Amino acid sequence: MTPPVLAASGITKNYRLGKQSIPVLRGVDLAVQQGEILALLGASGAGKSTLLHVLGLLDQPTTGEILFDGEPVQNLPVRERARLRHSHTGFVFQFYHLIPELTALQNVMLAGMMTKSVLQYWAIRKQARREATEILEQVGLADRLKHRPSELSGGERQRVAIARALLARPRVILADEPTGNLDSTTADGVVDLMFRIQKERNLAFVLVTHDEDLAQRADRIVRMKDGVVLSSAAVR
Amino acid sequence: MIPAFSPFLAVRYLLTRPIVALGIVGVAFSVWAMLVVDAVFTGFVGDIRDDVQRSTAGLLVTDLPHETSYEQLQAAIEADPVVLHTAPRLRHYGMLQALRESRIPIASSEVDFNHMEGGFALLLGIDPAREMQVTGLATWLPRAEKVLEQKYGRPILNPQTILQEPDPERLSLMKVPDATEWTQRERNGLPHPPTPENFRSEWPGILLSYRRLPILPMRVGEPLDLLSAGFQPAGQGEPTVRTTKVALAFAGYFATGHRLFDETTAILPIETLRAQLGQHISDPGSIDIVTDIAIRPHDGLSKDELRAGQLRIQAAVQKLLPPTSKPCSVLDWEQQNEVFLNAVAHEHSMMQFVLFVVMLVAAFVIYATLHMMVVQKWKDIGILAAIGGSPRGIGLVFLAGGLVIGTLGAIFGTGFGLLSVHYLNDVNDYLAREFQVELFPKSLFDLPRIPCRLETSWAIEVALGAIFLALLVAFVPARKASRMNPVKALSYE
Repeated sequence: MTPPVLAASGITKNYRLGKQSIPVLRGVDLAVQQGEILALLGASGAGKSTLLHVLGLLDQPTTGEILFDGEPVQNLPVRERARLRHSHTGFVFQFYHLIPELTALQNVMLAGMMTKSVLQYWAIRKQARREATEILEQVGLADRLKHRPSELSGGERQRVAIARALLARPRVILADEPTGNLDSTTADGVVDLMFRIQKERNLAFVLVTHDEDLAQRADRIVRMKDGVVLSSAAVR
Repeated sequence: MIPAFSPFLAVRYLLTRPIVALGIVGVAFSVWAMLVVDAVFTGFVGDIRDDVQRSTAGLLVTDLPHETSYEQLQAAIEADPVVLHTAPRLRHYGMLQALRESRIPIASSEVDFNHMEGGFALLLGIDPAREMQVTGLATWLPRAEKVLEQKYGRPILNPQTILQEPDPERLSLMKVPDATEWTQRERNGLPHPPTPENFRSEWPGILLSYRRLPILPMRVGEPLDLLSAGFQPAGQGEPTVRTTKVALAFAGYFATGHRLFDETTAILPIETLRAQLGQHISDPGSIDIVTDIAIRPHDGLSKDELRAGQLRIQAAVQKLLPPTSKPCSVLDWEQQNEVFLNAVAHEHSMMQFVLFVVMLVAAFVIYATLHMMVVQKWKDIGILAAIGGSPRGIGLVFLAGGLVIGTLGAIFGTGFGLLSVHYLNDVNDYLAREFQVELFPKSLFDLPRIPCRLETSWAIEVALGAIFLALLVAFVPARKASRMNPVKALSYE
């Protein structure tokens, strides 16, 4: 049987506040299969975003294991974790998190520069530019390549962020409230786009949301409360 | 490995921050200042060293006991293989006064021991023929003519020929031409025959520094009095003070370029000075006393060979001195001027330190710029981490920023520095001509041009130093960026 593309086992995460230790995740188990859309649903403070950060190796769990394709990765060296963050997962955030000094095209191309040296990238610069342009075309931004984030609408910014997450061909997309900052029409467009690409590329998709309607479009909903998984159920 | 995103992002961050220009200008200015000021200082120091060397014998035997005879030591010194020529020297002190001013009393308060305006002089008794073999004495007179002409914009002196006297006896006493002394005697109401035909010069000559010209303007042959004094043993009891006065003829102005030497020294025949000290040549019991013996070593000797020669000469001279006498010294030209040269070198170091502080200020601007950038880019750091940037690569963004600022500053500073050094005299002349502003007043230093020597090695050191310093100060914000928790960075508002 193929191991899940991303799994968490017995994850706890405590934050220190002065002398106090505040538990945010209390023994979370989770497995995401290739091509599956998983919605993490819960109220604010449930631990969804923290779990997403831990799953994406942005944050270290206090205890427990993170497994990529069945291999534990949470104790890898910093540099190796950074490399995996780049090649295995792609992040999409609520507030887009684009670099304001760069154009849409440069923001996407930046993702391709993470693990290549100056010389390596110089050798493939034309190809890298072409790939970034193609992805932006796929997300419908062919005419916005040279626009800076400040010159784009919220929906367009999120599309750039999606394009950036896709550039390194990751196997998992971790999206933290990707429509939380968009109006409903724009949000629908962005969600449609994400799910279309997910299907085309057979990606695993972890979607953090507190929007029940959005969660219902996933394959499975994991409900969380106070750092604990309450339920995990497939959506009909 | 330098990740491609580090320089890519660094350049874009820098291009969107005008304050970066301040850092570049700061580094460029400090590099420029270090090159130009040091080039001028090095030029001055180089000229000063040349001037000091010009006024100094290659080697000098000194710290000799009283009443040391030149003849006693000459053969032993000249027997050493490093020695080419020797010349006797006698140092003393005295007061000079032009005869035409003799009725003006000089109060003790008017005696200026620093600048000799009261007529005080350190007397250097020389044998001109021998001295010319050992030092550049023959060039000191034409140099004075040139310096004075530059200073006053017209020839002040006729060509001075006193040292070209063919008669060895007249040369040894630096006597002015017979007719010249006769004319001066007549002009000053001193005893003289009715016609100059059979008159023979009697006064020994004296050479004064061109720096005395404003306070002691003299015509060649003009008489002046030299008053000197010394203690003399007087049987039992306290020594008596013996004062002597001698009439001398002004024989010319000299200029070595060594300010201290020029300002203090008057040069006269050694026999005249010996006579003043009670060792008149006609006295059968007299000795050819010296206080120092100047030596011209052979050309092309290495420092080690010269040093070995110094030790041999010292040992040979010491052997000939009374056993109870203190050790004599044999000094090369740098040792003779050790205090002065050390002071100049110290000033040079201090100046470099001050300029380095200017560079530190520029480095602080870079630090402040990059630190501010890290704070402003807090969220970007989280984004970079989220899309796979390693902490090292993130730190390199800011290190590359420092490198770019430092390198651009070093390039601009070096470029402007080289141009400034090349056109320094032209700019100085232009400012003086058009705006009556002299950055470097040449008259202050009696120099025709501002001496400017830019060492290539110094230019390279300064440029690389600026880049290194920029990298060093960039390291702190870079380290801060690389250690940032990406989750905290992403949630930063």
